[in-house]
Amino acid sequence: MSQPIPEQPILEVRELRKHFANRRGLLGALSRDADSVIPAIDGVSFDLHENETLGLVGESGCGKTTTGKAILKLHDVTGGTIRYRGADITKQTQAQFRPLRRDIQMIFQDLDAALNPKVRIEDILREAILVREPDADKETVQRRVYELMDLVNLKKNKLANFPAELSGGEKRRIGIARVLAVRPKLIVADEPTSALDVSIQAQVINLMRDLQTQFGLSYLFISHDLQLVELMSHRVAVMYLGQIVEMGPAKEIAKTPRHPYTSILWSSIVEKRSKEIAEQGSAPAWGVFDFERPKGGCRFAPRCPVYAERGRPAICTDAVNPPTLKAAGEGRVVACHFPL
Amino acid sequence: MSEMTNPPLLRIEDLRTYFYSRVKRAFVRSVDGVDLEVLRGETLGIVGESGSGKSVTMLSAMGLVTTTPGVITGKVTFYGGETPQNLLEGLDAHVNVERRDGRIMQASKDNQAWQKQADQNLRDIRGGKISMIFQNPRAALNPFETVGKQIAESVRLHTGIKGAAEAKEKALYWLEQVRIDSPGMRYNNHPYGLSGGMSQRAMIAMALAAEPQMLIADEPTTGLDATIQARIVDLLDDLKARLGMTMVLISHDIGVISRLSDRIAVMYGGRVMETGPADDVLDEHADGHPYTRALLSSTPRPENVTASGHLPAIEGEVLDTINVPPGCRFKARCQRMNDAVRARCDSREPDMFEIAPGRRIRCWLYSPQ
Amino acid sequence: MKFTYRQDVDTVSEYSSFSAWKSARRGDRLSVIYGLVVVCVVLVSYVLGALKWLPHDPEAMDLDAMMAAPFTGSYLLGTDFMGRDMLTRLILGIQAYFLPGLLAVIISLGLGSLLGVLAGYRGGRAEGGVAYFSNLIDSLPRMVLMLLVIAAFRPDIYTIMLVFGITTAPTIAMLVKSKVLMLKERNFIESAVALGLSPAVIIFKHILWYNCRALLLIQATIGMAEAVLLETSLSYLGFGVQEPTPSWGNMVQAGANYLMQGNFWPSTAPAFAIMLTVLGFHLLGDGLNNIFEWKQSR
Repeated sequence: MSQPIPEQPILEVRELRKHFANRRGLLGALSRDADSVIPAIDGVSFDLHENETLGLVGESGCGKTTTGKAILKLHDVTGGTIRYRGADITKQTQAQFRPLRRDIQMIFQDLDAALNPKVRIEDILREAILVREPDADKETVQRRVYELMDLVNLKKNKLANFPAELSGGEKRRIGIARVLAVRPKLIVADEPTSALDVSIQAQVINLMRDLQTQFGLSYLFISHDLQLVELMSHRVAVMYLGQIVEMGPAKEIAKTPRHPYTSILWSSIVEKRSKEIAEQGSAPAWGVFDFERPKGGCRFAPRCPVYAERGRPAICTDAVNPPTLKAAGEGRVVACHFPL
Repeated sequence: MSEMTNPPLLRIEDLRTYFYSRVKRAFVRSVDGVDLEVLRGETLGIVGESGSGKSVTMLSAMGLVTTTPGVITGKVTFYGGETPQNLLEGLDAHVNVERRDGRIMQASKDNQAWQKQADQNLRDIRGGKISMIFQNPRAALNPFETVGKQIAESVRLHTGIKGAAEAKEKALYWLEQVRIDSPGMRYNNHPYGLSGGMSQRAMIAMALAAEPQMLIADEPTTGLDATIQARIVDLLDDLKARLGMTMVLISHDIGVISRLSDRIAVMYGGRVMETGPADDVLDEHADGHPYTRALLSSTPRPENVTASGHLPAIEGEVLDTINVPPGCRFKARCQRMNDAVRARCDSREPDMFEIAPGRRIRCWLYSPQ
Repeated sequence: MKFTYRQDVDTVSEYSSFSAWKSARRGDRLSVIYGLVVVCVVLVSYVLGALKWLPHDPEAMDLDAMMAAPFTGSYLLGTDFMGRDMLTRLILGIQAYFLPGLLAVIISLGLGSLLGVLAGYRGGRAEGGVAYFSNLIDSLPRMVLMLLVIAAFRPDIYTIMLVFGITTAPTIAMLVKSKVLMLKERNFIESAVALGLSPAVIIFKHILWYNCRALLLIQATIGMAEAVLLETSLSYLGFGVQEPTPSWGNMVQAGANYLMQGNFWPSTAPAFAIMLTVLGFHLLGDGLNNIFEWKQSR
């Protein structure tokens, strides 16, 4: 795995916030309610260094995809700052930001995302190449197309096909090739392997690693597959309901989680559980839940087993004193009043 | 559980389900000669990737495949009634196939007549003796009716209970069995008021309320969040133990399969590649089909990463069931092929070789010669 | 009823053998062929008429062969009630509607697409403004509007077609807008933005060209058909081209006087011409739309 360069954060995110207006029906619109906002991301801060892979995990609704899209300015940011190589890009307009888009790219969760179904593969790639080199002549472009196909291990005869004629793995590779055509430094990978068969997932993972070593890429690796994130990332950030609750080196987070949510997440890996249960004899039981919107304080409290065990301490629901990310040794931070 | 002690509840023989691509003018051989057995009281896990035919196999057995041509050969014997019954009875009357070099190249089928026949065959069995749950619970639940009413309906249709009050009681009972929170309140909820995990539980309740002899679960945990997946798997494990259900679990997730299955069947490219007790099939160090072994060592798990930082990936693409090569379906990607078997792998598809009682592998490496 | 499926080849080619034309239904292909024939005939006739390469003098009256049936002597389509060659007059009649119709189509498509894209991509007030404008125009009955404009300003056919084009633009604007809205949310638009493509390229290339061209083509054929009907209707009513210059509309009108006498040809021949031409344009658009809007499921 490539070695991250700690002194040069390529991306600095501070207190990022993205609120979505809650579209309410006719009657709802008549009442002016302060609750009509969904805070998809609510104060997210992290650094990403060159050559590093930062894994972003969490369940649906935690805001990880929104974070990725916000970094690409596909969403307007409600608050906070994003700095790319020191330059503040938060307030830039789309027109100002466009030249920088070559440096920051995204692999979308949906395999068909990058592929206009009516366009052939070779034209899709040519368009991407021309974004980077608008003055290139036909031969150069054709050469670059072949180079890209080689980079992602695809046969050249796929160039004449339409996206609908490709398999899932092939579509994913084309998506990666298209992103590489503009030669980015930072790639946000949103669930890059989720829609793929297991035997293809390994191929794509190997490819992404090789590309990282070859081109010195940095990845923001968003995934719900915890074991995959563990093996791909240098560091991992765990998100819950729009906030990062724990962050640190991947192996440490997996082995000794400090936040109760992280612990529950990692213990829900189905294979591991079969051995645990065989040893313990019964499944760990925790309270039934729903995604409640707590009024204040720690967002995880309604689901937190530690909160229940400690007799529901008031500090956990204290809105004035919510848990913030604090150092917990060896490059780790946890946002919890009672870390494990 | 060995095959010797448990009698089969369902036996699938030589099942073939083909689709037709008008554009390519060729058959999509989705299920290409599948033999499977489900024993009483066990959980059979069918694992495979896309195109393996795992879902289509069970859907075909239940007569739920309506796209033409659909099921063209096969016999599905259900032993749950008083006498064994062939669920695909009458198929031959409506289908003509022509082969060339042993491979089917033409099929004529009267699909309308066959559908009618199949519906007749399966009328009492579908939903009643054999229940199915699917990947997307919202697709199975009627969005216009409350959850409780739908479960009660299932009770009234498939069990002897006819009275409304008794049916409601039973429905509440099943909602409790699936460990849904506040069953009384959920009874009156509509499906859109339930989260993903809860809808899944409701669907399981509805399937179980019919008190079936067998439950077919087609990708029941795919698409759910990690923690919810874990809890659904726990629930199914629990139900297995308490109700002694026979279950067929279809999934591409090896973790889920390993947790819940007693026996496992691995499918690839429309055929079964190996069957056997779960522990044996999943044991990386024991004998097994090259596909399964390669699959297990290539799953993205930290343990599988080699010294060079790579995962030992299976090269090539998953078999496209339009172009089925002669010989073994897996030959293009097989790492364990050696000179002794290469000639056979290239030309003839291996049979299932029984290397131990109940343990069968479709690979020339394990043939007795 | 048994359906038979057959596979002839042992191995299926991986290459893209997909051809929209070959997978199309027979009805669609016939529609397109017929439509193309009509378009060709119209084009050729327009050129012939413009260059005045006609079989006969349109105004030469052959008093011996009045209202002759087709294939009488050198009159391939017979003569009208004044002994003038029908074929020549029909060919010339195309002059009356061809260029004006083209103008109408270009205006309606151009203006319509622009407004539609503006409303769809920008949304907000632009969308509101376009919707207001569209509703305003749509609420006016077109034929009545045309007649009012003619009565008030006595304009030439080109101006009429200009107004016609403007009045049909809102329909196209709405169609394009809804397409744009649908596509805007699709992932490949989002990823085109992420790639760094400028909005202009996204709109014109990805949205309009790749995804709206079928829609615009159909609207063009419908528009042309409508233009033909409009021009011929106006000439029929006496507002368009005047005698002796032929227009299919005024030919029908003039020939109608002779229907009572049992001479149906002078009136019916141009009427058939109108019908076959309009049908041709509609079928062309319909057939092309069905062929090119191929579904992804194979």
